[in-house]
Amino acid sequence: MEINGVEIEDTFAEAFPMVAARAIITADARRWAEIAGRAATGYATSVIACDAEAGIEQAIEPDASPDGRPGVSLLFFGFSRDKLEKAVTGRVGQCVMTCATTACYNGLGGTEKSIRVGGNLRYFGDGFQTSKLFEDWEPETANGPGMDPEHGGPASLHPAAADPPRAALAPRRRFWRVPVMDGEFLCEDRFGVVQGVGGGNFLILAESAAVALAAAERAVQAIDWVPGVITPFPGGVVRSGSKVGSRYKKLRASTNEAYCPTLRGVTTTALPGRVAAVYEIVIDGLDLAAVVAATAAGVRAACLSGVVQISAGNYGGSLGPHHIRLHEALGR
Amino acid sequence: MLTLRWKTSTTIPVEAEAITPENLAARSAVEIARLPLQYGNRPEPLGEFFDVAGDARDEHVVLEGDMGPLKWVGAGMTRGRISVYGRIGMHLGAEMAGGRITVHGDAGDWVGAEMRGGFIQVRGNALHQVGAAYRGSRRGMRGGVILIHGSAGNEIGSTMRRGFIAIGGDSGDFAGVSMIAGSICLFGSPGIRYGAGMKRGTISHFPSDGGGTLAVLPSFRLDCVYRPVFLRLYLRALARWGFPLPAGVEAGSYERYSGDLVALGKGEILKWLGPSAS
Repeated sequence: MEINGVEIEDTFAEAFPMVAARAIITADARRWAEIAGRAATGYATSVIACDAEAGIEQAIEPDASPDGRPGVSLLFFGFSRDKLEKAVTGRVGQCVMTCATTACYNGLGGTEKSIRVGGNLRYFGDGFQTSKLFEDWEPETANGPGMDPEHGGPASLHPAAADPPRAALAPRRRFWRVPVMDGEFLCEDRFGVVQGVGGGNFLILAESAAVALAAAERAVQAIDWVPGVITPFPGGVVRSGSKVGSRYKKLRASTNEAYCPTLRGVTTTALPGRVAAVYEIVIDGLDLAAVVAATAAGVRAACLSGVVQISAGNYGGSLGPHHIRLHEALGR
Repeated sequence: MLTLRWKTSTTIPVEAEAITPENLAARSAVEIARLPLQYGNRPEPLGEFFDVAGDARDEHVVLEGDMGPLKWVGAGMTRGRISVYGRIGMHLGAEMAGGRITVHGDAGDWVGAEMRGGFIQVRGNALHQVGAAYRGSRRGMRGGVILIHGSAGNEIGSTMRRGFIAIGGDSGDFAGVSMIAGSICLFGSPGIRYGAGMKRGTISHFPSDGGGTLAVLPSFRLDCVYRPVFLRLYLRALARWGFPLPAGVEAGSYERYSGDLVALGKGEILKWLGPSAS
C-alpha cells in the first residue's frame, strides 16, 4: 500500500489493555486550566518508568464544561486500578489542587468501576472539608408526559407523546470542597474508569531528521482532532523507541537498535537504505476504535514527500491482544 | 398512562396514600376506582372523587383538577411519575424514596416532607414546611430534589439532613432552621432568621435587591467575599431543569457567613452580591 508515494508496510501495532480515566479541569481562565493540565500530565510518557501515561485530550468550551468555565480534559492510563488511583490522586493533588482557581471533575460517567480521587484528597482540608452530593436528574422533555400546559396542554391529551418511565433515582455525584487560600478546591469524589488501550503506535521512517519530524508533527496535529485518545510523549513524538529487555538485568526496556541509524553498520538494521531518521507516534485511547481511528488519521497526515515508509512496532504478537494492522486501519 | 380527573368540590380532606405509581401499576381502571381513600372519618372508593381513564402500566399517573383537599399523593413512592395539573393538597411526596412528581399548579404544606429520594417540581407556589421534618422527628429531608418555582412558607428544609431545595419566589420565616446538612437556594426574599440553629449545610440567598437588606443572624460570622465554584453546578442544573433564575446569576461574588455558631457552626450562608460584584 502507498499513500502519496509513501510505502505503508503490511504490519501491525501491538497494543494492550490499560485502565483509563478522564479528568476535566476547569479554571477561571483557560490559561490556568491548561497550566494545570500540563503539570498534571507531566512525566507521564510511558509506564516503563512513570506511574501512569497521561496527556491532554482536548480543550473544553465553557458551555460544555461542568461549571461553565473553560477547561481541558485529560486522559490517564495505568496497568491496574490501584496504581491508576494512586497516580491520579497524586497528580491532581500536587498539580491541580495547587493551581490557581481550578476545579477537577470526573469525565467518564456511568462506568461500572471507579477510582477515588477527591475522596482521597479531601483530607488536605484537615477537617474543614465539606462535601456536596449532587443528584443529576434529567430535565422533563418538552413532549413528554410532564410537559408544561403552555406547550400543548396536559399530557393526557397527547397519549402518543408519552415517553417511557424514567429511572427512579438519578445518578449521584459527590464533590469535595477543600478550603485553600483563594477559596475552595472542588474535586469530584470518584472518577469512572474503563478498560482502555495503550501502546498503539506507528513509525515514520524518512530521508532526514527534519522531514521525519515535520511528518511527525503533522501526524500529532491530525490525532489531536480524534476524541478519546492521547499521544503521551513530549509533543506526541518519540525518538527513543524501545525494545523489551536489555543486556543489563535491571532494565525492562532499552533502545531499539534496529531503528537507530547510527548503528546501521554494527547491527541487524530494520532501516531501508535511504532512511536517516525515525520517529514513533504512541497512542493511548479509551477504546480500540479510537486508537485505530487515530492511527489512520496520523498515518495519512504523515505521508509527506521525503518520508520513505510508515511501519509499526510489535513484538510478534506476544505482548498484547490488540493488533492494529496498518492496512486495515487505513482501509476503513 | 393513568388519568385521574377530580370531579368533586368537597372541602373535607381526602387522604390518598394509595395514589402512587407502583400501587396503581398492576391494577385495572375498575380496580383503581374501587380503591379506598379516607374521606373525613370514613373510607370512600376513589371513583367517588375521580373519573378514571387509562392504566398505569407505564407507571405514569396524571391528576387533573382543583385538588386542594387531596392529601398524601405520592407519599412513600419509590418509582414512576406523577404529573399534577391543578392545585394539590398537603403532604405531596412525603417520605418518597424515588421517582418524580411534577405539579403544574400550587401545592399545600409539607411538600416532600422527610423525603429520601426522588424529584419534585412545583411550578406554582407551596405552603409551609417544604422538605421539613415532621414534629418530633429527628431528621427532615434525607435526599432528593425539591424545586418550587413560586413562593413557599415557613420552615423550608427544617432539620434536613441531605438533598437540595430551591425556592424561586419569596419564602417564609426560619428557612433551613436546624439544618443538619444539604443545600437550599432562596431566590426571592426570605423571612426572618433563616439558618437559625443550622449545624452544617448551605443556604444560598440570591437577593432580588442586589445586596439584600435582610441581615443574617448575629450568630453567623462573615468569612469573606468569594466565588464558590460548586454553586455553579447547582445553578447550571437549575437552568437545565427549567427553573426560573435571575439574570446574570452565574456571575458575581458571594458573601460567605459561617454558622450557626450557637449550634455546630459548620454551616454556611452564601449571599449573592449581584452579577456585577467582583
